[in-house]
Amino acid sequence: MKNALGREIPERVGSRRLRPFQGAFATTPSGRKAARYQKTSAPGENKVLASIETAIEACDLKDGMTISFHHSFREGDYVVNQVVDACARKGLKDLRLFPTAVFPIHKPLIEHIKSGVVTRFEGSMNGPVGAFVSQGGHLKEPAVLRSHGGRWRAVEAGDVEIDVAFIAASQADPLGNATGIAGKTPCGPICFSAADAMYAKKAVVITNDLAPYPVTPFEIRQGWTDYVVVVDQIGDPASITSGTLQMTRSPTRLRIARLAADVVVASPYFKDGLSFQAGAGGISLAATQYLGEAMERAKIVGSFAMGGGTKLLVEQLRRGLFRTLLDGQAFDTDAVASLREDRSHILMDPDLYANYDSRGCATYMLDAAFLGATEVDLDFNVNVNTHSDGKLLHGIGGHQDVAAGARMTIITVPTIRGRLPVIVDRVTTVTTPGEVIDVIVTERGVAVSRKRDDLREAFTRAGLPVRELADLKAEAERFTRKPGRPVFGDDVIALIEWRDGTVIDTVRRVVGWK
Amino acid sequence: MSDARTVGSDGERDGRVTATPGGKLSVVVVVENRELLERGIREVAEETLAALKVKSGTYRVEDNGALDFVIAARLEVAARAVDLKVAPLSPKVVDRPAAERDRPRRSRLYAPGNTPRFLLGIELYGEDAVLLDLEDAVPPFEKEAARTLVKHLLAAVDLPEAWVRVNPLDLGGKDDLAEVLRGRPNGICLPKAEGARDVQALSALLAKLEKELGIPVGSTLVMPILETAKGVLHAEEIAGSDPRVAVLAFGAEDYTRDVGARRTTEALLFARSMVVAGAKASGVQASDTVYANVDDEAGLVCESKLARDLGFDGKGAINPRQIAPIHSVFSPSPAEVEEARKVVAAAEEAEARGVGAITVGGKMVDRPVLERARRTLRLADRLSLEGRR
Repeated sequence: MKNALGREIPERVGSRRLRPFQGAFATTPSGRKAARYQKTSAPGENKVLASIETAIEACDLKDGMTISFHHSFREGDYVVNQVVDACARKGLKDLRLFPTAVFPIHKPLIEHIKSGVVTRFEGSMNGPVGAFVSQGGHLKEPAVLRSHGGRWRAVEAGDVEIDVAFIAASQADPLGNATGIAGKTPCGPICFSAADAMYAKKAVVITNDLAPYPVTPFEIRQGWTDYVVVVDQIGDPASITSGTLQMTRSPTRLRIARLAADVVVASPYFKDGLSFQAGAGGISLAATQYLGEAMERAKIVGSFAMGGGTKLLVEQLRRGLFRTLLDGQAFDTDAVASLREDRSHILMDPDLYANYDSRGCATYMLDAAFLGATEVDLDFNVNVNTHSDGKLLHGIGGHQDVAAGARMTIITVPTIRGRLPVIVDRVTTVTTPGEVIDVIVTERGVAVSRKRDDLREAFTRAGLPVRELADLKAEAERFTRKPGRPVFGDDVIALIEWRDGTVIDTVRRVVGWK
Repeated sequence: MSDARTVGSDGERDGRVTATPGGKLSVVVVVENRELLERGIREVAEETLAALKVKSGTYRVEDNGALDFVIAARLEVAARAVDLKVAPLSPKVVDRPAAERDRPRRSRLYAPGNTPRFLLGIELYGEDAVLLDLEDAVPPFEKEAARTLVKHLLAAVDLPEAWVRVNPLDLGGKDDLAEVLRGRPNGICLPKAEGARDVQALSALLAKLEKELGIPVGSTLVMPILETAKGVLHAEEIAGSDPRVAVLAFGAEDYTRDVGARRTTEALLFARSMVVAGAKASGVQASDTVYANVDDEAGLVCESKLARDLGFDGKGAINPRQIAPIHSVFSPSPAEVEEARKVVAAAEEAEARGVGAITVGGKMVDRPVLERARRTLRLADRLSLEGRR
């Protein structure tokens, strides 16, 4: 069957019937959310266990079950590998992994996939695991990728039933209250795992810092936690930056950032109360800095900003550029410290952030958002998951959630990466549909969605280089030959879910080149 | 038969071509992402070699994100190095508006002639003129590769006014000219100009090359850079030495070294004033030296204001970040434009009524004031017409 974007979607995958994407806000959920498991505890019960293996036994983890993780330690995470290694040692097979995301540090998972310890995967794949899965044939079912908000929704809706949630926590108490922003090695918020802790059959907190009761403030509550495992190391907080926090020095990228900030300044949203989202990544950081300078010059005070938290946003909060900083993730240790200490820096779980099946999302309150892309097409569809060679290399993150919510979604991309044109006729994979994208900023000019004549007029009036996306594409193509294109087979490697659980696109196995 | 020759680098956005003479012609492409990129690179290589009439040798192309014209340039240099029969290419040049002597030149952005990652996108920063540098920014052993790369860049990219700074004529400048003129730059920047003879020698070479290449003779402008004691003292002579001269530029770094001065405002005042007076005596523009500290925007603005007040029309920039601050100083402000409009309107009205002396806002408007007002309006109109900021 074809979805609303004309992408071919299989009717079913395994036991699951797929729903095709119908539009960014086209579906309405009905009925009730999934029910949580009954649990109890008697006074004096000991939840503290000495090892991950003991926890695996205590949870009665069996072949074919689903285990989940968060990604707050990002490239510095030790817990996913420790747990899956322990499962392999226990002889477990056929596990379904349900992490929020994995990173290059989780490359050892590839061996566990090859040996059949892990046979299914739902979660964002950044780097080698994604590249491996792209070659297909190793997973029993297609991987499923969801946005941050989409993942929370899927857990609540019962789309994914978690057997055991393993939750790395930089500090926890013996009853299972846990946090990621305090302790010996704070990694930033772990509230992505709150849904897992609530809905999993069993929830295991893994910490290297067992503190006296009560640990406060906590993100994971004692009532959800079945066991607390104490280990030597859970991760390296220095690696949460994941290399995305270098301010770019490339003149082209700085030009894109400058134009992106100018776009916000020229928009009707640039006034007191402005709210914006700024992720990591060189262009985004520079754009955020330029926007901050413009706000200071114009004496504008924003209402809130949203991260992932960075040192830059923390400094802007302290300078009073906006009243509140909302973060569900921390991209550096400054942001972690600020979340701990600054009462106007607020911790935000994915439910608050962007749950489609809820009566309010913080992303819906955004005026402006800067997002990236690996490709964009003439319909303004955006790909962040695959590269032009068809390899699945990145997760969705909050891309869909922010783009769907923000009044003005700005995609910042160079027109050419290496020799590869970034503006294409049709993106390899649709992550986020063109209907929720407003502006595409490149070093060669600014393209505005046909639905936003108001913005086009405002930008033209401000003297910004407003161009047609097709012209920008043609201009870039003058400098490089058309690259080869992958030929995809029928084999579906991954499903890309839209925020509401419908399928916006599939990633298929590359079978050749043309 | 000569040995293998390697051109280019593995730097970002560059390509490296190794040519080995002899044997059947073959092209080897080395690139990450082979399935996507190899075919395009091979096409560029084969077309370039065909255009060069290369019939033999092995050409190994290693790509690190080079655009087509970079690959073509690297190949051409390698081919010419291993096969002396190979003649220079005259690539098809983008449509470039003819050079104009008098146009806004608030900024001229320098770009190092052999560094693709700084050259790509150089046209995008809103600068009034680009200056592709073959002199100080290019080490001696890269001069050959640089001049060919600049030629291909000129041909491929829709630049704002395009200038090339060649080497002094007796130090490779002649070869620079023979190569880059095929890319039809709007003008040539002559470093270390010290007298009329330097400019005339350049002009004669230009005329010869223009004739050979079918370019209208006299259409290539010249911007002598005065950066020695002699050059500064001969400013008037240099400015008036040849009709091609459109701008006199001042180069403070070499000048201070030449005269043994420190780079202070006071120490440079005489030279700056000489350059301005020399230029204006022949009705040509004057452009101030670059400001080296890219991170010091306040210092740049301060020095730009000084230059503007002395009579300079613009200033050099070594980083795209410097363009907006420079333009903010050298563009007429809305208040200045308003004032100029009043002056011109009053003068026209007075002329229509046959009145002699006029005043605007209590100040007398004489000929120089009127001239200045007209010039301000011309610049403002031109900038707004071209959508320049």
